[in-house]
Amino acid sequence: MTNTATTPSGQPLGISHKPSRTEAMFDKFRAENKPAFIGYLPYGFPDPDTSLEAFRTMVEHGVDAVEIGLPYSDPVMDGPVIQAASSIALNNGETIRRVFEAVETVANAGGVPLVMSYWNLIYHYGVERFAADFENAGGAGLITPDLIPDEAGEWIEASDRHGLDRIFLVSPDSADERLATVARNARGFVYAAARMGVTGERASIDASPEVLVERTRRAGTRNVCVGIGVSTAEQGAKVGSYADGVIVGSALVHTLLADDNRTARDKAEGLKLLAAKSEELAAGIHGARG
Amino acid sequence: MSVLDELVAGALEDQRTREQAVSLEEVRKAALAAPAPIDATRWLKRADGIPVIAEIKRASPSKGHLSDIPDPAALAREYEKGGASAISVLTEGRRFLGSLDDLDKVRTAVHIPVLRKDFIVTDYQIFEARAHGADLVLLIVAALDDAKLKHLLDLAHELKMTVLVETHTREEIERAIAAGAKVIGINARNLKNLKVDVNKYDELAANLPDDVIRVAESGVFGAVEVEDYGRAGADAVLVGEGVATADDHELAVERLVKAGARVKASETTPLSEHHGPYWGQFGGRYVPEALITALDELERVYDEAKADPEFHKEFMTLQQRYVGRPSPLTEAPRFSKLVSEKTGLDARIFLKREDLNHTGAHKINNALGQALLVKRMGKTRVIAETGAGQHGVATATVCAMLGLKCRIYMGQIDARRQALNVARMRMLGAEVVEVTLGDKILKDAINEALRDWVTNVKDTHYLLGTVAGPHPFPEMVRDFQKIIGEEAKQQLKDWYGIDHPDAVCACVGGGSNAIGVMNAFLDDERVNLYGYEAGGKGPETGRHAVRFAPGTGQLGMFQGAKSYLLETDEGQTLDTYSISAGLDYASVGPEHAWLKDIGRVNYSWATDDEAMNAFRDLSQTEGIIPAIESSHAVAGAYKAAADLKAKGYDKAVMIVNISGRGDKDMATAGKWFGYLTDDQAKALEVTGAHGNTVA
Repeated sequence: MTNTATTPSGQPLGISHKPSRTEAMFDKFRAENKPAFIGYLPYGFPDPDTSLEAFRTMVEHGVDAVEIGLPYSDPVMDGPVIQAASSIALNNGETIRRVFEAVETVANAGGVPLVMSYWNLIYHYGVERFAADFENAGGAGLITPDLIPDEAGEWIEASDRHGLDRIFLVSPDSADERLATVARNARGFVYAAARMGVTGERASIDASPEVLVERTRRAGTRNVCVGIGVSTAEQGAKVGSYADGVIVGSALVHTLLADDNRTARDKAEGLKLLAAKSEELAAGIHGARG
Repeated sequence: MSVLDELVAGALEDQRTREQAVSLEEVRKAALAAPAPIDATRWLKRADGIPVIAEIKRASPSKGHLSDIPDPAALAREYEKGGASAISVLTEGRRFLGSLDDLDKVRTAVHIPVLRKDFIVTDYQIFEARAHGADLVLLIVAALDDAKLKHLLDLAHELKMTVLVETHTREEIERAIAAGAKVIGINARNLKNLKVDVNKYDELAANLPDDVIRVAESGVFGAVEVEDYGRAGADAVLVGEGVATADDHELAVERLVKAGARVKASETTPLSEHHGPYWGQFGGRYVPEALITALDELERVYDEAKADPEFHKEFMTLQQRYVGRPSPLTEAPRFSKLVSEKTGLDARIFLKREDLNHTGAHKINNALGQALLVKRMGKTRVIAETGAGQHGVATATVCAMLGLKCRIYMGQIDARRQALNVARMRMLGAEVVEVTLGDKILKDAINEALRDWVTNVKDTHYLLGTVAGPHPFPEMVRDFQKIIGEEAKQQLKDWYGIDHPDAVCACVGGGSNAIGVMNAFLDDERVNLYGYEAGGKGPETGRHAVRFAPGTGQLGMFQGAKSYLLETDEGQTLDTYSISAGLDYASVGPEHAWLKDIGRVNYSWATDDEAMNAFRDLSQTEGIIPAIESSHAVAGAYKAAADLKAKGYDKAVMIVNISGRGDKDMATAGKWFGYLTDDQAKALEVTGAHGNTVA
């Protein structure tokens, strides 16, 4: 086996200067005056194979970058829908080793593969090992909902060596000095939470994300995407009018959940609904600026 | 010819060329005429950080071309701005593409020490370094014999320069010391995986004189290596590629400086006054960014309160008049006899009676302290998690007293086995939410409380009940609980005329009562400290909450802190089990993790059986019914006594912390010991107060 942490001559990897894939995506969309559509789904939900089909479906129906979630036993940033999906995935044998298949699937379908993971999973797998495997699979960047830049020394080093994007979060009550810290350490884009709280669908979106996007840009961030609580095409269009990207999670996950919100829906039916929901959202988001 | 021989030969040849233009005498004169050098030894060791020597490095024989560096002065200035303590300039031209011109440019650009790094084997090169303004030079032991090494070292010292002496083996280190080296460069890279090898470092750096400055010289790239070398004992680090090739050089250096400061801050003593966020490698703030504003505010308000005599006065007045402090230190002669009979140690055991506090446990100390902070912050709503219900009851109590809105999250399983406490909390006006997610125990209650906090952080304070979670909780909760040990120490002196105990025993779930009783003794090496985790059915069964025994907990980040954690090989949190709801937790406070790693506290466990036997023993010998949680400490007293005996003690004074009273556990105990008739047991089942049968 080749040691991916070293150069062919056996020296440790230096800093990778390969350009950011997500930044390239945003540049392309910026030229077209369009926001990007980032869709979330947990890997392994409802089961590993179906989730690969689901990722492909999303990309084929308008999702530009896929946020592949790693199911975790204690997801403190997630509301009931994603908690239920994560728990179904864990019960159906999800393992972190196979998430790289999902990364490859998204890349092969033409999407930009991102992973979203609570930090303990990556730490336990091995930060350098994850970065190497993720890069090999064609991954672009990692979203870390419970890792702030101040604690991210090991990840900053590994992502520098492997040319991966570091996506940190900001929230409406983040002070300017926190926004500056995030801006200095992030790569790719910054994830702005549309509201205080955990993931989940909402009937309306208030004005605070627009202010947060503006403040985050002023702190030095080029690309700012908004997520948490965006669930309809209309909301996507509204958010997409000012954000560089719109992140949708629970609303997509919902399509694969049965009406009881605790079990998985019939597979074929679920994928059909997922395709339709992706298209609907993509139309709203991509058409946000006319 | 080895690579080193080749480099030395090349350097020598280049020097001879330069000597034709500038004679040895001229260069010597220039060296003596140069402005005095900076004493670099004062820059390379400090109590609060790990100085970074940042290198101007264009290429190396092993990695080839790295960076063009058209403007070395600008790069050096960026390093200096990032917090570098010295700049290393490679002046070797053939393979490293450096020059003396680089050295001149850097010298005029910065105000910090500058190192000439080259293959130095002659007097000429030393004078030359000084003439060009170097404060430090590098000597490589492998390139010099003993006499030459000593000669060049002495010459550099005469010129008031500092010498970084590069070594690769223990033997070279000994040669360097013998020659009079004061600053030693240590290379502890594992040649197989090229990572920093802490064991190799220990081997190399063992027994170095205290006044020698240890510089980690090889393989330092980012924060990871700084932390590894720093924890292994290096005073300073030299880093090349990791900063020279970074997109933002200043930021790259700054990150290393911060990582070093963090290592130093995490290991300060005295132990009893250690500050967060880091306890050795443990602790931190592994939380969503959305909570940082609230945590920053809490830290600020707490620091202000700590410095405010009015806050202490209010806290202590309430402790006395409302909680009923001080809680007594009760001698337990009949229980002592039982322990002595079983272990052969002549034990004199004292019980610290936190069970006699208002609400029946130590939890009120912390609940009261934090509730006063809530007032200072101007927040109106309090949320808390609870396992056994003791922290929930304490929180509901102080909220009632201070007129704060209160919601308690409790896992459904815990709510059933502690049904009476649920009623108590509701009686006190709190809303109790039974958590039906996950495993439905303490950790799931904490998850829900965190979700609530993320959503309502503006007006809500999360009153965390133990020394776990993100900074500042572990430090703050310790400060509110340390009164337990401070009182016990004083009472032992005042009431019993004993200067200090030989041992202190406590149970450890998250660890707040244990830290509370131990803190006053942490810096007194005469006191043996024992912490007992919940052994459940035994660590080998997988049904337990033991985090510290071999093969149980692993390093991980959980609910805000890095600590030991019970987790699967995928990093998912494991189900835990204990008859005691209050100890049934997958992780443990970061300070305990540190105290375990540095060997200050002995951690072991008591099983359900052992705890329940101790529960009965103490009840029937002293008329004191301890909580099942505290019974783990009582069971531990037997184990600690046996350990003291094995250590050579014939007699010992022991303090056992009775963190809470056992009334809440009578349903469980009645059933466990068969003290109830079938009809009575059934009646309890109907009310849901059926104890341990759920888990």
